[in-house]
Amino acid sequence: MSTRLGVDVGGTFTDVVLIDEATGEIRVAKEPTTPESPDEGVIRGVGEVISNGGLSAVEYFLHGTTVGINALLTRSGAVVGLLATEGHRDTLELARGDRPDSFDLFWKAAPPLVPRHLRVPVKERILFDGSVEQALAEDEVEAALVGFEQEGVTAIAVAFLNAYANPEHELQAERVLRRAGFEGDITLSHRVSGEYREYERTSTTVVDAYVRPRTASYLAKLENRLRDGGLDGGCLLTRSGGGAMTFGEAAERPFEAIISGPVAGVEGAANLARELELDEVVTIDVGGTSTDVCLIVEGRPLLMYEGRIEGLPIQSPWVDVRSIGSGGGSIVHLDEGGLLSVGPRSAGAQPGPACYGRGGTEPTVTDAACCLGLMGDGRLAGGVELDRDAAVRSFGPVAEALGQDVLELCRGVLRIAAANMADAIREVLTERGQDPRTAVLMAFGGAGPLFASLVAAELEVPRIVIPPLAGNFSAWGLLGADLVQTAGRTYIRPLDDEVLAATGSVVEEIFTALEGRMTTVPDSARREVLMDLRYAGQEHALTISVGADGSIDGSAAAIAELFVDAYVKAFTEPLDVPIEIVTVRGALRIPIPPPGEPAEAARAELAGERTAPAWSFARGEELDFRVVDRAALGAEDCQGPALVVEQTATTYLDAGSTARVVAGGALEIDATGGKEL
Amino acid sequence: MTTIEKDAVVHRVGSGPAGERVPIDPVDVALVRSGLLSAARQMQRALIRTSFSPLIYEILDFAAVIYDRRYRLLAQAPSLLTFMGTMGYCIEAAVEAVGGESELEPGDVILLNDPYLTGSHAQDAAVVMPVFMAEHGLVGYSAIKAHWADVGAKNPYATDTVDVFQEGVLMPGVKLYRKGERNEDIVRILCANSRLPRELKGDLNAEIVGVRVAAAGLCRVIERFGMPTFEAAVEAMLDHGEASVRSYLAKIPDGRYVGHGQFDDDGVNEEAIPFDVALEVEGDSCRIDLADAPDARGGPINSPVPATVSACRVAMVALVGGGEGLNEGFFRPLEIVTRPGSMFHPRRPSPCFMYAWPAMQLADAAIHAVAQAIPEQLVAEPGGDIAAFGFWGYREESDQSWLVGGAYPTGQGASARGDGASALIHWIQGATRLTPCEVIESKSPIVVDRIELDPDTGGAGRFRGGLGVDIIFRLSEDCEGITIMERAKNPPKGLLGGGEGRPGSGLLIIPDGRTETVAKVTGFPVVAGTRLRWRTLGGAGYGPPAERDPDAVREDVREGYVSEEAARADYPHAFGDGR
Repeated sequence: MSTRLGVDVGGTFTDVVLIDEATGEIRVAKEPTTPESPDEGVIRGVGEVISNGGLSAVEYFLHGTTVGINALLTRSGAVVGLLATEGHRDTLELARGDRPDSFDLFWKAAPPLVPRHLRVPVKERILFDGSVEQALAEDEVEAALVGFEQEGVTAIAVAFLNAYANPEHELQAERVLRRAGFEGDITLSHRVSGEYREYERTSTTVVDAYVRPRTASYLAKLENRLRDGGLDGGCLLTRSGGGAMTFGEAAERPFEAIISGPVAGVEGAANLARELELDEVVTIDVGGTSTDVCLIVEGRPLLMYEGRIEGLPIQSPWVDVRSIGSGGGSIVHLDEGGLLSVGPRSAGAQPGPACYGRGGTEPTVTDAACCLGLMGDGRLAGGVELDRDAAVRSFGPVAEALGQDVLELCRGVLRIAAANMADAIREVLTERGQDPRTAVLMAFGGAGPLFASLVAAELEVPRIVIPPLAGNFSAWGLLGADLVQTAGRTYIRPLDDEVLAATGSVVEEIFTALEGRMTTVPDSARREVLMDLRYAGQEHALTISVGADGSIDGSAAAIAELFVDAYVKAFTEPLDVPIEIVTVRGALRIPIPPPGEPAEAARAELAGERTAPAWSFARGEELDFRVVDRAALGAEDCQGPALVVEQTATTYLDAGSTARVVAGGALEIDATGGKEL
Repeated sequence: MTTIEKDAVVHRVGSGPAGERVPIDPVDVALVRSGLLSAARQMQRALIRTSFSPLIYEILDFAAVIYDRRYRLLAQAPSLLTFMGTMGYCIEAAVEAVGGESELEPGDVILLNDPYLTGSHAQDAAVVMPVFMAEHGLVGYSAIKAHWADVGAKNPYATDTVDVFQEGVLMPGVKLYRKGERNEDIVRILCANSRLPRELKGDLNAEIVGVRVAAAGLCRVIERFGMPTFEAAVEAMLDHGEASVRSYLAKIPDGRYVGHGQFDDDGVNEEAIPFDVALEVEGDSCRIDLADAPDARGGPINSPVPATVSACRVAMVALVGGGEGLNEGFFRPLEIVTRPGSMFHPRRPSPCFMYAWPAMQLADAAIHAVAQAIPEQLVAEPGGDIAAFGFWGYREESDQSWLVGGAYPTGQGASARGDGASALIHWIQGATRLTPCEVIESKSPIVVDRIELDPDTGGAGRFRGGLGVDIIFRLSEDCEGITIMERAKNPPKGLLGGGEGRPGSGLLIIPDGRTETVAKVTGFPVVAGTRLRWRTLGGAGYGPPAERDPDAVREDVREGYVSEEAARADYPHAFGDGR
């Protein structure tokens, strides 16, 4: 029992990482994702790194999957019936009445997950303070069920107005449905979220009901196949809000795991940040079509308490990963007014960049990097041979229209792509009052290490960290996830000591509920208490940690001070206004021991001692770059210009920059020597 | 730039660059543009996150912009369209009010809310910050105009003012900050005149935070590229905006398209007010002619010049299909003609509290005029109103006033692409969001008994108009209310034979059993237990109803979007027996 296995299923590839904790030995694999039945790709990928019987040594199987998102994307979830408060049948379809682009006179939302004839109003009313104004009409619930059964409904969502303040009617409706013989899944809105805003809570409830059968059956099937293969260890799935939950818990609350992919990489980055004792880290995960940006402060990714997927709000903790439509496959084009633009359209995996020689003809960011020599001399992992001529040809029309030569254009393309990423990072940072010049940039994903230096120069970030296994980092990140359960409760009260004393019982209730979701709660469990606070009168709140052992720590004055500090950091000046509590939150965290350090990254065996010509942005001229195998690097400095290659990524180390291997197998780059772009 | 032609005034932005066009790397242009946009977005987020009033954080009733020193829009965050084209006027007026550019100093912040300067009503307070850099002096402006909940008008919101003095305390452009030093007296005067001083002060502070964030962003971009490159990039960026609009305008056939609108009344006098708007397209240029507009009204539906210009700009940008990276260059192909003394060019002190309503209908009428010529490329008329209402009261136990109100969604027009969307806020305030019932109920003595789609409101057609909304608010304490329903008598018009959308209506149901119809009414007393039933407009249809797919008709009936009765009347062909 000494290995740990991480499998991250992405849109294009399924990444696998196995670490032997005793020896630190690592094995990685990349398999095409099999969207029809993702477990196929998982099992195949696992087979690449584990031989017969090896599964029995796996202590934890950690998983990230897009199965929930796919059910939404392909509209292949359950047939859901929704019970709503009379007069509020259309909450789901009304949404918030806004549209993404005001000028778009044609805009229309996708049809709601539950069509109108399956949204049934029933007589009942609870007021904002939890008092019952109108009792639940049980006969209407029974009548609704008859209709649902005729329509083939397999899951029922119940979302009553103000259920966050008093769940009794939702519970009563569930009892009535069960008594009347309904055996399918039932999701109650107050179990999904204890927070107000009926559209967001209803949406979350319906998404949960919609994806649950697919998620549950997928997880069960996968677990069975792994068990058949000899797996005896725990099966865990990453949560959208960070940490992991058991497959059993995930099948019960699938909405909490809807974006596990990007989160795993960020979690890995957070673990590495803690190990390297970095206070403030901004991550960029550069993939084919998009770049994900996230801020990590004091070793934890920043959390939001509402996310959005396919335009649908999810009222659940959500690692604040921002995506921009700029990645390696982003297509270079001229817009209507003739201005050079990069993305958001992408060449994706098929046909891919022109230089991959798979039929792509439109120029992409990757093609620009290829033309400039930043990707080395043409040999990539997986046997891909770069076709530089095809890349150069792809830029022909745009270069001609602009009257630029191709290489000049390519340099511009990379600057634009890097600036787009830098802008996204700057927005995330300034929103939190953080200065890029004191942050560390952590870059991963297939193209992250390529862009890191350019982005750092844009932002004047002095220090870059390239994590180990940078190209497979999402899967690596899975390995360090803790077990986490969270819940929040809307609880609007003034922040004073009397209220705090009374809040203690709310905190207890939250943790009792959280512990109820787990089969066992070990002694190592940590119980973090957080509060959303704001100046009375504001709507938006800041989340402040107020206790680490399951109770509120400190007086109202001490908590107010923490809030004011955070507020001033974000918004410059404090206000002379009373502070109020909006939401009380609990997080139950069961640490699983961190994985051992990789003894050595898998040897790329690509580089001999050789050089390749590439453009130096720091010097503004083409230089000979040394091509260096990352596995061969040690603690001694490696001077740029160099291209550091590993199995699934290439790090562009410009002239003037210096890299060395630090703790955790990471590569640290001192970028201060490089001139500005 | 304005010029006088006979008795009309022509408004246009300068058509060329301020200086000479310098050759510039297209990459730098793209980088400067995205850097400025990013700074504007940061300003918007800071404003939303620190504001006190749901009008700002929930309804997004504001604009956040960056301008250059020559009052040219460089970047704006996505926000309220009606404000979009007014901000140059706000900034120019602010500078002029304090004595001109020479009187500006680093750290100054100017506050103004005079409707004739800002092109809004007095509640919309503009905060303008001149941006200085040590080596360059004045480099531009950051500005926010945002809706304050109350600034001391005769009512918190009003449909019946007879002059601008009844509409709130007016700030004519005063230095709220002088060299970074805040003049607290101004804030005290404002607060003393507001029913909601806490919100006012909080929102003012949020605007200050916002303009400072943007000012820093502008400086960063200039530092990053150096002044010569920045200036050259700005010229190229504006030229690019202009070119993209012209390329779209060129696709609209040349001609003079006349649209007709009609206001139900002006809020004070009862008669209906018809108006025409003529939109002329010639090559890649566009002219909107309002010279024949009716005289300024006695009630507050007058639109000060900046608001009129803004509505025309918004209509043109919507016509050409979008405004990504919107800047001053987008406006160059457009000129606008107004007649002083008309409702679209009122003279002080004509009342203008409801200035947004004429702007809205003006834009819809202009677009509908062009839609007649190229119906397959545009949409039938939407429920052309924001169907707003609100309530306010005072709670003794907390010694606080409360106020709830806002825009409500209507049905959208159908098009050749399909049925119109149901229940969206009017596009001119398209980023505005519906306030959740649970938020309303937790903050005010209101129970929302109903908010659902209203069947049969969408105009019939090959493609059906979107549905309006049927709302019932129940007031559980005594208070006062306001309703603003426009186009109750002027239904949204269809295209190519599509049917009209159903107009909206308002009805007060009083506990003693009486009922009372309400459209534009201000400050009516409400006794506890009263309900307001508020039904918003549907969008118009596209194409003859007889061409609608019978399956779509039956699905509409099954989903309850259209009653069977209405379906049989509008689409007999879908019911096999033809009856």
